[in-house]
Amino acid sequence: MKTIQTEIPENLYKGAVALAEQGWFRNEKEVFSEAIRRFLESHQPELMDNFIRDDVEWGLHGED
Amino acid sequence: MAKIRSNTVVVCDAGPLIHLDEVGHLQLLADFKKVIVPHGVRREVNNHRRISFEEADISWSLVKAVFPLEQSVKTICNLFSLDAGEKESLSLLNNEPDAIFLTDDAAARIVAIKLGYRVHGTIGVLVRAIRRDLLNPEEVADALQRIRDVSTLYIKNSLLQEVITKVKQEQR
Repeated sequence: MKTIQTEIPENLYKGAVALAEQGWFRNEKEVFSEAIRRFLESHQPELMDNFIRDDVEWGLHGED
Repeated sequence: MAKIRSNTVVVCDAGPLIHLDEVGHLQLLADFKKVIVPHGVRREVNNHRRISFEEADISWSLVKAVFPLEQSVKTICNLFSLDAGEKESLSLLNNEPDAIFLTDDAAARIVAIKLGYRVHGTIGVLVRAIRRDLLNPEEVADALQRIRDVSTLYIKNSLLQEVITKVKQEQR
């Protein structure tokens, strides 16, 4: 495991702590790991490239 | 500006509103027949930018009502950690299936595509301005450059430069 130090908005931190306190996660660190894992899954570089190229295609050659 | 407004209705997520405003081209939304902004999106935008939603040329439709999402859609939204505004947008699209969903959020885009909706983002709206005769290619290239310089929309620089090159070729 890699240890990092960063700054996040207070409300995000409180939200993560609340989830852990309610028993959904062992601690807030697990919340952050899970959040980042999900973000990375939905932000695959190839997918985002395709979204931009699709936008350009629509922009130049769409019919609306 | 194109003489005749497009017949296209758009449902807007916060990203394109914020990013178009950041690069000084929010008025491009005036080309759409209706710009639907859910209450949650408006709230999110106002946390970042001072957009009045009173720009006379833009056909704003500020919608407070939230229609219930099917349980399966709710589950997908939760799996992708979509925020309140994005969920409201998807519920509105259920009633406006021909509308285009404007979002710069990859997760929201994936979900909306899976649900069968047309989805585009800030880059698409900017490039579309050429086809709609709202901006010339040079102006759009400038706006794209400003995406990197002044906006909070993050795009891989090599891809952005590729888009700028393609846009500039439109004027030849």
